[in-house]
Amino acid sequence: MTDLPTLPEIIFYILRRGLYHTLLLTVLGLLIGFILGISLALMRVYGAKELAWFSSGYEKLFRGIPLIVLIYVFAFGLPDIFWYIDPLELRLGSVVLALSLRSAAYQSQIFRGAILSVTPGQTEAARALGMGGSQAFRHIVMPQALRLAVPSWSNEYAVVIKDSSFASAIGIIEMTQSAYFVSINFQEIWALSYLILAILYFLFTYPITRIFGERQSKKLKKFGMGGG
Amino acid sequence: MILQDRPNPIGELLIVLEYWDHIFSGFLLTMWLYGWALLMGFFLGLILANLRQYGGWFLSRIASGYVEFIRGTPLLAQLFFIYFLPSSLNIPVGDWKIETSFTILNKDITIILLNYRTLAGLLALGLNSAAYQAEYFRGAIMSVGTEQLMAAQSLGMSRIAGIRHIVLPQALRRVIPAWSNEAAYLPKYTVVVYFIGVKDLFSQAHHVVAFTFISLTTYILIAIIFIVTITLISKGLDILHKKTMIPGL
Amino acid sequence: MDKPILRVVDIWKSYEDLQVLKGVSFELGEGEVKVVFGPSGSGKSTLLRCINMLSPPDKGEVYIRGQNINAPEVNINAMRARIGMVFQHFNLFTHLKAIDNVSIGLRRVKGFSKEEARAKALEVLQSVRMEKWTDHYPAELSGGQQQRVGIARALAMDPDVILFDEPTSALDPELIGEVLQVMLDIAKAGTTMIVVTHEMGFARAVASEMIFLGDGVIMESGTPEHFFVSPKSERVKNFLRQLDILYGGHEKLLK
Repeated sequence: MTDLPTLPEIIFYILRRGLYHTLLLTVLGLLIGFILGISLALMRVYGAKELAWFSSGYEKLFRGIPLIVLIYVFAFGLPDIFWYIDPLELRLGSVVLALSLRSAAYQSQIFRGAILSVTPGQTEAARALGMGGSQAFRHIVMPQALRLAVPSWSNEYAVVIKDSSFASAIGIIEMTQSAYFVSINFQEIWALSYLILAILYFLFTYPITRIFGERQSKKLKKFGMGGG
Repeated sequence: MILQDRPNPIGELLIVLEYWDHIFSGFLLTMWLYGWALLMGFFLGLILANLRQYGGWFLSRIASGYVEFIRGTPLLAQLFFIYFLPSSLNIPVGDWKIETSFTILNKDITIILLNYRTLAGLLALGLNSAAYQAEYFRGAIMSVGTEQLMAAQSLGMSRIAGIRHIVLPQALRRVIPAWSNEAAYLPKYTVVVYFIGVKDLFSQAHHVVAFTFISLTTYILIAIIFIVTITLISKGLDILHKKTMIPGL
Repeated sequence: MDKPILRVVDIWKSYEDLQVLKGVSFELGEGEVKVVFGPSGSGKSTLLRCINMLSPPDKGEVYIRGQNINAPEVNINAMRARIGMVFQHFNLFTHLKAIDNVSIGLRRVKGFSKEEARAKALEVLQSVRMEKWTDHYPAELSGGQQQRVGIARALAMDPDVILFDEPTSALDPELIGEVLQVMLDIAKAGTTMIVVTHEMGFARAVASEMIFLGDGVIMESGTPEHFFVSPKSERVKNFLRQLDILYGGHEKLLK
């Protein structure tokens, strides 16, 4: 019977083996979700009726599907279409796609709320100065909306990095899968390895949400932003 | 591998629907888990929010710590931790179960209402939901403000009575929109119990795939069932909210 | 009037089923100060927003130095740059310091360089006596200070005319004086202004003409003397009496 690994060994093992994919999936998911999410928000706030309707429908759709189901839909659907791509990349792609599409739905809400929080009188003043609609948006609304979105966005980051744990279900080697590997090899410390896993995730989420969350909200209120 | 022609999706759907009894039993179990998790999350969340707001230095920090930790860690990790805890501590869990059976349209449906796995899943979901609900409740309690509590105490009410009769009734009404959000989307998260062998909707989907070899259509069907369920719950809560509104609150 | 700066011709505007403006016309010469007053809902704010086309009228035209600003071939943004606006709720850009609030129009609309814009902004802020607050954010300023920055923002663009939409209505009483003083100063310096306000002291001091807007039409117009000595209609008489009760004391705020 082999000796049980020590605490630092478990931690290093999970990080060394799994951190790369965890971060890769998180960053890609958030980034694509950001681009898509801002577009959807703009569609809903400034777009024609059809665009706004589409954006609203998109949000409802991707907020109502469990992430793991979405991952499976892509994991089983993509190989048929992209049969020429390496299976591991396809699995990664499925998860990234699922994470991004889901995150876009939530980020769209975040940015829509932020844009609407900027008092409309400021847009009026900008246009009165002679700025066109898109100029007013670029120089007056967007800078403030982005700042207002920071607290909610830091929360979204936490959600996506936690959700990346589901990638383990389709065999991607990230942090949760690594913890699983530890637990099946050393069955005495099943629960412990998951506790350590949880603490690792916590270290990645709590500092960020603490700094950019409520504290940031209070700072913004002091500037008088977001009263609309 | 040559690009395969997708066989008729309608045809596939009909084959999958032959296993409607599996899908239905999975759906019922999902709803069962959802209901209990929501309830547990409600009461525990309310307690946590009150502790955070009104508890002493020590209690409020414990409550805060719990809420922040649960919200900062993946549900999957929490689930596995709870599930494996007894065996790691060498506590036997036994093979007990409580189940119910009934027959619909000549198909026998059996649902395990409670066994070790279901209990672990329920606990994980409930404890998790409690942390998120606690945040909503705390926000609502804070929005009621301290002035009304001061007014109540100046009338001679004890702090607890003031919280019970003045703050909470208003807080609970104010929290309805945010809470409805959590309540409507909680069914989504119950799928995580698949990973510990509970036969929920997602798990039954795998069964059907194993029998029929039709994967994409099955998972899309499951996705649709979730969307429809969530939309119905959401609309239902909306209607409830409109019917019980108080002006100015 | 031989060469009016502003000509407003037969403006009609309705919202939903309500006809707010029913054929309003007037002219404004260089250096003139027109004060528009009347009961709320009479369309005064709407009129201002029709003039700078933020809310284009259903019927009617607006001419700036003879040019129809709503003509299809005209760039409306360039036109708006020539019409300044000061808002009841200031509408300062909350993420910009005072100096940047004043200079952003110069940079983004008129194409000034960063240094030119800053220099001009400083100059204008001095004229409204806010030069000590250039690096403050709107949230750090009182209402009166914010409105003065708002006036500076409009002044900096060197507009042909400045529209004032109840500039002091949202201010605490002790802050009204400083804003009225600034408005008085720029009026005396020859700025062409249309001011929607209830501050009759201001009107008495600098208005070239006063217009009473009621039920969407100009009910009466004339010099301040006309209104305060012998107004024609009963309605105007009563309204002025009400105003005097509410705002009569403010005249002492002006130097």
